[in-house]
Amino acid sequence: MSSREDILGRVRRQLGRTAENAASGRAAMERHIAARAPGPRGILGNDLVGRFREKSAALSSSVEDIADLAQVPAAIARYLDSHGLPPQAVCWPRFAALDWQAAGLRVESRPARGTDLVGISGCFCALAETGTLMLCSGVDTPAALSLLPETHIAIVPAARVVAGMEEAWTLLRRESGELPRAVNFISGPSRTGDIEQTIVLGAHGPYRVHILIVASQ
Amino acid sequence: MQVRSMHFKARAGEKLADAKLQVNLGRSKSKFVDKRAHAILDLEDFEATREAARQLRDLTLKDLDLWLERFEQEATRRGATVLWARDGAEVCQLVIDIGRRHGVSKVTKSKSMLSEEAGLNQALEAAGIQPVETDLGEYILQINDNEPPSHIIAPVFHKSKEDVSALFARTHHLPPKTDIQELTREAREVLRPHFLSAEMGISGGNFLVAETGSVALVTNEGNGRMVTTMPGVHVVITGIEKVIPTLEDLATLMRLLPRSATGQSISNYFSLLTGTARSGETDGPAHMYFILVDGGRAAMVGGEFAEMLRCIRCGACMNHCPVYQAVGGHAYGWVYPGPMGSVLTPLFAGMENAIDLPHAATLCNQCGVVCPVKIPLPDLLRRLREKQVERHLRPWSERLALNIWSWVAQRPAWYALATKFGVRYLNWLAGGQASIPVLGLAPEWTRGRDFPAPEGKTFRELYAARRAPRREASR
Amino acid sequence: MRVGLFVTCLVDLMRPRIGFSALKLLEAAGCEVVVPATQTCCGQPAYNSGDRPNALALAKKVLAEFEDCDYVVAPSGSCAATIRSHYVDLAGEEAGLAERMAKLAAKTFELTDFLVNVAKLEQVPGKYAGSITYHDSCAGLRQLGIKAQPRALLAQMPGVQLREMSGAEDCCGFGGSFALKFGEISAAIAEKKCRGIAAAEADAVVLGDLGCMLNIEGKLRRMGVATRVLHVAEVLAGDAGQEER
Repeated sequence: MSSREDILGRVRRQLGRTAENAASGRAAMERHIAARAPGPRGILGNDLVGRFREKSAALSSSVEDIADLAQVPAAIARYLDSHGLPPQAVCWPRFAALDWQAAGLRVESRPARGTDLVGISGCFCALAETGTLMLCSGVDTPAALSLLPETHIAIVPAARVVAGMEEAWTLLRRESGELPRAVNFISGPSRTGDIEQTIVLGAHGPYRVHILIVASQ
Repeated sequence: MQVRSMHFKARAGEKLADAKLQVNLGRSKSKFVDKRAHAILDLEDFEATREAARQLRDLTLKDLDLWLERFEQEATRRGATVLWARDGAEVCQLVIDIGRRHGVSKVTKSKSMLSEEAGLNQALEAAGIQPVETDLGEYILQINDNEPPSHIIAPVFHKSKEDVSALFARTHHLPPKTDIQELTREAREVLRPHFLSAEMGISGGNFLVAETGSVALVTNEGNGRMVTTMPGVHVVITGIEKVIPTLEDLATLMRLLPRSATGQSISNYFSLLTGTARSGETDGPAHMYFILVDGGRAAMVGGEFAEMLRCIRCGACMNHCPVYQAVGGHAYGWVYPGPMGSVLTPLFAGMENAIDLPHAATLCNQCGVVCPVKIPLPDLLRRLREKQVERHLRPWSERLALNIWSWVAQRPAWYALATKFGVRYLNWLAGGQASIPVLGLAPEWTRGRDFPAPEGKTFRELYAARRAPRREASR
Repeated sequence: MRVGLFVTCLVDLMRPRIGFSALKLLEAAGCEVVVPATQTCCGQPAYNSGDRPNALALAKKVLAEFEDCDYVVAPSGSCAATIRSHYVDLAGEEAGLAERMAKLAAKTFELTDFLVNVAKLEQVPGKYAGSITYHDSCAGLRQLGIKAQPRALLAQMPGVQLREMSGAEDCCGFGGSFALKFGEISAAIAEKKCRGIAAAEADAVVLGDLGCMLNIEGKLRRMGVATRVLHVAEVLAGDAGQEER
């Protein structure tokens, strides 16, 4: 007997599984899945962008508001300069056409390598409740770009700030149908508390997360 | 992992006497207890969220076979291979087979308690595959000769930064650092090349989502993402009880898990992984495997201890346990310490191997009131004690004492006589003092504290005496 | 109201005066109090040790002795909780027994809970002048919700100065047989509790359970700390001395 049959067989026996109750059980299962009932929520006000900004800052991300996408290169140039970082980065393909050169930046649209110091990504959406970025992996949204470099800069359209995880799932189902390979929720720079329960920023992921909230797209 | 729970009492004694450990354990209140209490305040209704979590866990466990089949179907459809392992030995064999099939010489690992149960690292090394732990705490344990973890969320809770500093200096052959920030940076630099060169990544799974065939990973460091994004092969090892129905159910549990574990409203990184890399994707594994492990879980389904299967491995119970706070995790002798470990170890590793664990509790229920899925831990511990009695595993002296007490307590005349003498004897031992410093009958008590002297007469006799003259007067 | 006083074995053996204080309080609340003469033990030691047969035998005895009372009151959170929360479990499948145990459970109360919520005592008979801190026993707190009740009654005494300790709700380390099986760990937990008591800088620590009382008193004395250890019944009944400053 295979391990699978052995294990499932034991579970079925413990539950008193019969052909009849299997059929009704499966029907109940599908009903529960279809219902997608959310549970009790967190306390949230009406100003989603304000809440997102507040929570992101509490998680040690830095946040800047800008009017539109055209202002992104200048904003990033200022940020890199203020942190003494070299004026170069990798970015998602959707941002390749922004006027980086005018801001004095060398930005390549390609997957991140171990040597890249700055990664510029967008996001699928952002969760106000916890100050969280939601990124979906894909051909044009490589996951490693927000992971390997020491500095991660995320461009967040204000219209894509949703209340919480439940809203994000609803949006994802509506716009994508199928789940991407990886949905990564990012809440600030990487950190660890393993040594003496003292929180230290910059474990294996980025040290710094800078968020640009774009008012209009 | 080898079971050492039979040495609980002796090890507990050592831990109580370990002054450095006691300092480290003292961090429990501020770092875990207080933070958690603060973090639940921004939920609309914490108790309602707990109840919702309990219900969805019970709903799944009630039809666990069906939910597992559903998960397997979805995961397979999305390109993963779903394998099943009866026990730790099978886990190791399956992982080694996968490693050999894909020509793997190095594996990066993010946290998996199941892999601890199975002793996976040792098995990989014996098979010529190098495992590298990447969770900072687990890495520290690995380089310390594969020391076992002492807490399920904070594996080196028992260590000070000086311990880590000395260990790093010895292992990395670099000058010792004492600043925690610098130590963390050093670990990052040492581990980075491994992340980029390993052919296979092994992770645990906080939850398996049946609706989508996905695994949810909760981490803070980024190592979970590294381990599941960079290598060409990703293996998920987790217990069969981890399956949950929908993405909405996942969101509910994610409101409770980080808050209960570390007092965070969400973990730094929370990833939902579904299947293999799509064509054109530059990141992500080409091959994904799930190893669903029984290891004693199937036998608990639908039984007297089924509630324990709700556990989402947050660690809140041990953080709030006065016994854990006093002795730490290593005394428990296996993978899982504290209240949840005292229930799981006898059930997974054999009741005879962990006789003391269910008794090493005051049944205070400080654990139960914080458990995010409302597991009635003291009731389960008591039920394990009942099992021990049924299987004649208790010492004869204990059985005798309980039988004598019960026999006498059912016979009021005997009871009155015995207690009259008993309290007079204790009173005499006290010799007029308020307490007795040494009591031969109860050495465990008096080694650490005095035994207060009784008043010298029983309530029974005093009450009878008070009523007697009144009865006389009313004649 | 015909109230059966469940004295508890530890009060009977170690601190009879607490039984008399409880009696005084119930009479002050206007209750007719009966004290079944054959009562001994609620069976908790056997129950918590996993010995169901012995526990059940004692539970049946308690049922027989107290079934006819309107209420059953005990000066102990853990004994009241055993009767209230666990007797039905012990009854198991035995015909009709679970129902009778459920009825008994519904009318069994810990003393301060009874005085506040059932008898609605408006003025406790005793006087006490001094500073106290309060230890919330685990069984009373987490099984029966005893927290506000003793404090409400103590607030009826103008001479009482309540200084809450940090960790008032933390376990004292008694745990019944735990103290006898794992004495070292038990004493370590007790030490932490006693340090909290000492830090509150009160003349006395007041509590509602004999197990905690003996444990805490024994540890304080071994530590050389002179804080008095009093049962809440003694204080409320005015039997703890210290009526004036």
